Formats: sequence, structure tokens, C-alpha cells
Amino acid sequence: MNVAEKKPRIIQPDSLIGKRIQKMDAPEKASGRTRYIHDINLSGQLHGKILRSGRIHALIKSIDTSAAKALPGVHVVITAADIPDQRPIGVAKDHFPLKVGRVRSERDEIAAVAAESEEIAEAALKLIKVEYEDLPVIGNPEDAIKPGAPLIHPEPHGADGTHLHLKQGTSIAHKGKPDNIAMRFDYAHGDVVQGEAASDVVVEDTFKLHYVTHCCMGVSGMIAEFDASGNVLMYSNTQVPFLHKREFAEYLNIDPARIRIIQPPIGGGFGSKLDIYPFEVICLYLARAARRPVKMLFTREEEFLASPTRQPVLLTLRSGCKKDGTLTFRQVHTLHDNGAYTSWGATTPFVMMQTFSSLYRVPHCDYHTAAVYTNNPYAGSFRGYGNLQATFAIEQHMDMLAEKIGMDPLEFRIKNAQDAGEVTGQGMSFKSCGFKDCITTAATRSDFSRKFKENAANRNKPGNIRRGIGMASMLHVGGGAKIYPSDGCGTILKMDDFANVTLITGASEIGQGSETVLSQLVCEELGLPISAVTVVNNDTAITPWDVGVHASRTTFIAGNSAIGAAKKAKAKILAVAAKKYEAAESDLDLRGGFVIQAATGEAIVELSKLLRNLHFQDKAELVMTTFYYEPPSVHQDKGFKGDVSAAYAWGTQVVEVEVDTDTGFVKLVKVTGAHDVGRVLNRLGIEGQIEGGVVMGQGYAFTEDLMIENGVMKNPNFRDYKLVTAPEIPEMDIAFIESMDGEGPQGAKGVGEAPAICMAAAAANAIANATGTRMFELPFTPEKVYRALHGQTPKLYWKPWKAE
Amino acid sequence: MTELKHYFAPTSLDQAVECLKDGDVTILAGGTDLTPQSQAGRVKIKHTLMNVRHIPQLSGITLEGREIRIGALATITEIMEHPLVKEHLPVLVEACDHFASDQIRNAGTIGGNICNASPAGDTLIPLLVLNASVELASMPEAKLYRHSMPLSTFFVGPGKTRKSLCELVTCVRIPVPAENHVARFYKHGTRPALDISTISIGVAGTLKDGVMSNVRVAFGAVAPTPVRASQTEQALEGQRLDAATIDKVAAVARDEVKPIDDVRATAWYRKEMIHNITKRILSHVAQA
Repeated sequence: MNVAEKKPRIIQPDSLIGKRIQKMDAPEKASGRTRYIHDINLSGQLHGKILRSGRIHALIKSIDTSAAKALPGVHVVITAADIPDQRPIGVAKDHFPLKVGRVRSERDEIAAVAAESEEIAEAALKLIKVEYEDLPVIGNPEDAIKPGAPLIHPEPHGADGTHLHLKQGTSIAHKGKPDNIAMRFDYAHGDVVQGEAASDVVVEDTFKLHYVTHCCMGVSGMIAEFDASGNVLMYSNTQVPFLHKREFAEYLNIDPARIRIIQPPIGGGFGSKLDIYPFEVICLYLARAARRPVKMLFTREEEFLASPTRQPVLLTLRSGCKKDGTLTFRQVHTLHDNGAYTSWGATTPFVMMQTFSSLYRVPHCDYHTAAVYTNNPYAGSFRGYGNLQATFAIEQHMDMLAEKIGMDPLEFRIKNAQDAGEVTGQGMSFKSCGFKDCITTAATRSDFSRKFKENAANRNKPGNIRRGIGMASMLHVGGGAKIYPSDGCGTILKMDDFANVTLITGASEIGQGSETVLSQLVCEELGLPISAVTVVNNDTAITPWDVGVHASRTTFIAGNSAIGAAKKAKAKILAVAAKKYEAAESDLDLRGGFVIQAATGEAIVELSKLLRNLHFQDKAELVMTTFYYEPPSVHQDKGFKGDVSAAYAWGTQVVEVEVDTDTGFVKLVKVTGAHDVGRVLNRLGIEGQIEGGVVMGQGYAFTEDLMIENGVMKNPNFRDYKLVTAPEIPEMDIAFIESMDGEGPQGAKGVGEAPAICMAAAAANAIANATGTRMFELPFTPEKVYRALHGQTPKLYWKPWKAE
Repeated sequence: MTELKHYFAPTSLDQAVECLKDGDVTILAGGTDLTPQSQAGRVKIKHTLMNVRHIPQLSGITLEGREIRIGALATITEIMEHPLVKEHLPVLVEACDHFASDQIRNAGTIGGNICNASPAGDTLIPLLVLNASVELASMPEAKLYRHSMPLSTFFVGPGKTRKSLCELVTCVRIPVPAENHVARFYKHGTRPALDISTISIGVAGTLKDGVMSNVRVAFGAVAPTPVRASQTEQALEGQRLDAATIDKVAAVARDEVKPIDDVRATAWYRKEMIHNITKRILSHVAQA
């Protein structure tokens, strides 16, 4: 064949960026073929179950497991007494997986069983006899900080009052805590006294945020197995395999190199798998004791009882502005219900303070938080990480201040909104910022200003239906968050002799669509179709390090890492091609599966052919590259100042409602959103992520309510814990602001958490626009709204308080 | 988990009531209440679990004289879609349309909804205002015995009825409504489907020349059982449906009910809703 005689083949430029690309896991999930942890069974596997206290706060006087141990089919029964080397777990190391001496909440783990079937394990639990001595219960955080309040973590003593002599350590689980304050944050910039003195208008209100939980469709579970050499294999739903590998090793007192974590497809994460929970460590203990693989799966009731929650917050906000609409100061005090133990929920003030200090330009800001121990369920991390709570308060105050000075709420927001180039009082540096575009786009597309005025004018007309429109905006990290020593992600990329790519990434897929976006970014560099990529991302023995799925970081961090590896592969390929075809590397490019002349698009050689030539020769080389990306962000100083993320995401949502004043029922009619996402990578994926986030925010605002009364969960089921159902989902109009972040992969920023953040705040503003009544407490159930409309809701007030 | 000792699936009514004689039997029809209740430990499966789904005498929806007979095994979906029900009992269709979800409607039966005796049972309120009676079968001697009782006297408390352990509900009978019959049902909850009523209201009667007679009013989720509201009925009986009457009747309704606080609503809110929605329903009737 004489190539020279053929008409040159021209490969037209094409791009995958911004296209609507089906998620790579969609066919498997939609057809029910995905093998979740629930579908995995190992030969010789036992089934683990946990006995929970059922008491809220009590001393454990005795535990008798003899009858359970005697039940045929039971292999192992363990209590704290059987695990002398138990180490405390959690963010503050304040509890043991199996509780020692005392239970502090309804979900507390007393004993565990591994048996040949779930049924036998359940039956064995019923045979375990525990004697308790009840203690006074702290059912809300305000009681926890009263002088003389019972301590949730006193120095550990046994039932008879003698010191338990737990192995010496510095953790709270070992030495106790002399007060009920689990964690505190104090932040300030400027001088609020001066800010208040310069204010023409000041408002102060208390806001109350409730308990909700993630409600992952796939309940929690894991399988643990020790091999004959003592190496551990875990099938786990964790969002942070590498950090947890190290932590699990610590709890087992073994070398981390002995732990391998495989992550099967996960049935929902949303932040719930960001911490290690007692059941995971207990499952390891059972497997170690039984010398058999042990599988543990929650029931749905257990998923409610023993999963982390979003943290309930009591928040008093004082804000001021001048008559011309300039914000002057914000002072914030919050009290977080930490629950009985400390998980990531206690650290959400870290995100909340960013919203208070930097969503709008505010010269003076003062912020104090205490997360306090109670006997309630303990709070973890949840999509939005404190930002839903902070935004709920701030954005209502923006409307209230605007009303006080007689300014249009839209104009008031734009006047105080951040611009690109701003470095805030907290030291956050907004290199790309489409905030004002978000506000004006959402307002224009929803016809906000006209409707806002009309609704207010129609409030007193006859009839029982009132229409309302409200807006809220948000700021959230969009370029990772430097919290751990590293915020990086590694990639290994290998190409085979058919020009197919295996992308081995540290970034986990938890349903957010990372596999697809990372594949797109790689294909964009290498000029390949998306079908050319296989992603490997679920085995710590194979994948390179990553800090985990959190902080809306995967697209940004893992994306830059994948691009880095692809660029190295491209450079290697072009170098080879340049040599072989006697061209300058800079004149060549990759497109459509070919090496081309960059200027003309003329195909020079099929990439697969070039790769085969490279592989199958005397001096064979493989195209295999690695890259590690660490974002250029910094750790904050002790005063929480510094540029913690490489980029920031912005968004505005406008919510339209119809309020039925006869029933208090609020119908969510329409949501108009505008999100600064840097750049849209996968349009189908991002639309899905925004719509899902809106619905999650809708549930938080209107329907979801995990009811806890004195530590007792009243509704651990989907009958009375009300997720939004399909007919309730509103019309949505979502626009994307493409601010093309200079550091972002193809200009993109993170968006995972953003869409859930504004909904409750915007809904509150819409209800106020419709009825003239402000809602300070979530959720907006018909009864709560009806009560507020009929003057039956006493004005909330929590006196600002800060820990000494 | 309940350990199942004995399972029985009779194919005739005689076999079923014979089996019920010793009383230690749990009856299974659609299973949509029994399954979650037994799993949660609220109901204990007795010695025998009897599946009644294969008994032909319990199925079907037919016109018998001036009564519509709905077999106990009729599913909520069958009732919703049946021409006789659609023509004569649209208020029952309305209630079925707010009943749980499609999946549960396809499995759940009217006999089960009646015997579950939930104060918030969705079909019970329209059945009460339609003056339904329930037919029970048993075998006190060697022979099948059937008797009927008005549904309004059937309920005793949450999950409790006047049906003895030896009896089986075979059907409900509903008189075909006469001319000028009006009936309305309203379920108030927090969402359009898959919801337990916060309250529900049924109103039926004869509306002639703007005057209501033969009035029946029933409320759900405001008492230990679904209840007929006799004071509200009296306040409405023979009255012209004008604004003053409607206001008065709604106020009587609010005062008549004695609801409780629970996870779904407070007593105060339930009374308010009884008032506001009674008023709304009667206004709609007056305007229709």
C-alpha cells in the first residue's frame, strides 16, 4: 500500500468538554446489575450483628453473653471485655467501638455476634442479658452547658464507683472531659463594635436548624477478612480509603501495609462515609476472632439509628448595614448539638465561618461556636458541611436588612457581592468569581424583581393561596480544601497496544460521576473517544493515594491529576511520533485516535499503530505515566485565616412557592438556579448533580425531620421520615456561569455540595414574600408554617453564649 | 424475625373458617400491613399463618340488588379501576387515589385495610360515609355462619375490631347511593402519596334545593378509630348550605374531635384542619 498516493485524511477538531455524556456506570445501575456490597458474599462468610443499648444514658452493670454463645450456629460473641486492646475512635477519640462501662446514646454498641446466618445472629442478640443503671439524660444542647449539668464524658468509672483504670492515654475516652464542650471555634476579623457603631440598621435573630440524615438507598455495610498471614481485606463503602486504611491499622495494632480496602459500588455517600464508625471496627474484631470473613449489613432502622446526621444548630446572628446598603458587621454565636460522640459534624463551623466572613463583603465579623455533648445521635459530615445552616441565617438577614432600609433585595445583594480579585477578611482569594452573574442570571430568568413586588402587594387579597419568591446565594470551596497534610490525588495512566487507556486514580466514585468526568478529561488530552477508557478506582492495593471524596474536590483535584498524567503520556507519544515521522513535536497533535499535523488536522498515523510499533520492538517501551497533583492552596493559620481552597464555587437559587394559608402547606413550584461551576465538563452529569442537590435541599427545607426526643429517635423509618417523592419535585431551570477558573481542570470548579445549600434559605425568603411571616426554624412542614401564620410560634431567642 | 410454625392456604371459605376455629391464626391477605408490623415486632405471627388469597368467595366486585358487594380480597387498584365503583362510588375512588403507592395498592386489600383498623385507614372514611356494612363468616358449629354489622360499629381501637378471632371478613356491602347523593373525601398530609393522613374527612348526604339531608360525616386520625361525627352530622342535617351554616358546622366539627399529639401533628393542628377543611369541603359542595 502506498500511503503517499492516498488523499490525506483530515481529522476535524472535536471536544468532549461540555457535552452530554452518559455516566459510565449508568447501564449497570439502571439494569440492576451493579454488585453492591449487599450482593457480595465470600465463601465461609459469617454474618455479624450488633446489640445496641436502647438506653439513652446509663451505666452498664453487667453483660451476660453465655446463652448467646451457647446458641448453635454462633461462632463469636464479643463485648468490650473481650477486646482488651480497644482503641478509641472518632474525630476526638472519645468513644470505643464496643462501649466500656457506660452508654451515652440509644445507638450505643454493647456486644456483637458473628453467626452462620443473619437470623441466628439476631436470635443470639436477644439472648444477651445486660443490666443497666439509668443516668440523667441531656436531651438538648442548652441543657448541656448549664452549670452543674451531668457530664457525658466524665472520667471513666465502673458501676460501683471505682476508677476503671483504662489504659493510659490522652484521649477523651481514656481520661474523660470536665465539661460538655466537644469542640469550639472562635474567629474574628475587623472589630464588630466599630462595625455596629457605623450601622444605621441592626437586626438580630435566632435560627434553629434540625436533625436530618443522609438516607442512602444502600444501607451501610462491610465485609472483613483476615488471611492466614494476618493480612486484612476489607470490602468497604468508605469515601476515604487511604486515610481509613491507616486508621484501621491503628485500631487493629498492625502495620497499615497489611490492610487492603476494596470499595464496591456504593449506594449513596453524601458525606456519610467520611468517618470510621463503630460497626466497621466491630466487624474487624469479629472477623479476627472468628478467623472467618464476617459480613455486616445494617437494617433500614439501624441505618437511621446508627448513621451520622447533619448537625442541629442553634444560631443567633446579629447583622448591620448602612442606609446606602453597605454591610457593616456580622456577629454570630452558634450552639451545635454534637450528640454523644464527636465526628466531623463538630468541625462544620470551619465551613460556616467562611460563609459568614466572605459570602458578602463584610468589614467586621465575629464568630463563636461550641459543639456540645448531649445524649442525642452524633452528627457527621453531610453534603454542604454546615453551609446550609449558615446560609439559612445569613440570607434571611440579607432580605430583612434590605427591607429595613427600603432597598430591593436584589440590588442590596449585588452591592455587597464579591468580585474576582477580592481577598476577604478571612484571607480567601477569589481568583475566579461569577457571583454577580449568578445573582443577576437567576433573577432575570425567574423574573424575580417583578414577582417579588407583585407577591408582596397581593398578600392581603382574598383566597387561601399566596405566592412567594425568594432568593439565596452561596459560597463553597470548589478547588479542594487543605485540611489534611496533603489535599492531593495521584493518577497512573497506562495505554495498551490498541490505544485504550486504563486510568488508575485514587479518587473514589460514590455516584457523583467522577469516573466519567475523569475519562473525559483524559480523552480530551489524548484525542480519544470516551469508550477508550477503563477506570480503576476502588482498590488501595492498586490505586495511588488520594485524600478522599469530600469538599467537592474530586473533579478539581483528581481532574488536574488525570490531566497531568495524560499530558505526560501525550508528550511521550508525540516525541516518538516526531522522531519516527521526522516532524517537530510542536507541529503534531492527537485527535480522533490519530497522530495529526496540528495545523491541518491531517492524519499521520493511527495512534494504536504507533503504540504497537513502540511496544513490539527491541527497545520496547510502554506508555505508562504517573502524576500527582497538589493544589496551590494553603493551610489556614490558628485564627482560621488563609486561602484554604484553590478555587471557590458560587451559586444563586430562586425559589417560588404557593402557600396554602388554610393548611400551612407550601408547594414548591419552581427553582431557578445559576451556578458558577468554572466550566461545564459533562452537561448531563452536572445537571443531574444540581437537580439531585436541589431535591436534597428541598427535603431539608420542607419534609425531612429526624425527630429526637430526649435522645430517643421517634421516626427511624421512611414512613415518618419523609424524603421528597417524585410528584413533589418542582420545575427547575438551571443555568451555568462559566468563569473559567485558571487553576481548574479545563477551567472547572467543584459543584458537588453547592446545589443543596441555598434551598432552605431561599424557601424561607419565598414564604416571607408570600405571607409576610418569617420562618426561623426548619423544616417548613404544614403545621409549622400554619402555626407561624396564625401567631402560634413564640419568637425564638437564644442568648449569645460562648465557651469560657 | 418470627419463627413460622404452620402455614395454610385454604381454597374455600369453609376450610378457612374451619381453620380459624382454634383462634391461634394470623390472617394474611395483601401483607402490606402485616409484613412491616411483624418485622417491627408490633404484631406477633400466631401458630398458623393463613393465606386467604386463594379463596374465590372473598373476591370480586358485584352489584347485588341495591348493594355493591366488594370482596375482602379486592385490591385497592381493582376498586379504583372497577366500573361499578367508578359509577356509583366516586368518593371511594378518590380515597384509593391517595392510598399509599401503586405497588402497595396492587397488593393491599380492602379487607386488610378494614381489619388493620388504623384510625388513619384511607378507605375507612369513605366507607363510613357510604354507610357500608361488613360481612363476617365463621363456623361456630359444623356449618358456615355469616352475619353483617354496620362498619360504624366495627372499630374498637387502633388495630382492634369487633371481629372475633374465629371470624373472617368476607366482604363489604355498600348501598347504591340514591338520587342527589353527594360525597366528598379529603386526605390531609404532607405529600401527595405514601403518606399517613394527618387528618381525613368524609362527608356524604343528599343535596336537594341547597339543603343537606341524610348527612353522614366521618373523620380519620382524630380518635383511636375512624369515627362518625354525630354532632357535626346533626348540625348539618336539614340545613341550607349557606356561609353561616358552613361556618357553624366547621366549628362544631372542630369542637367535636378529640385528637392526640403524635409524630405527624399536634392535637391543636388536627382540630384546626378539621375546621378548615370541613369548611372547604362544604363550600365546594355548595358551589358545585
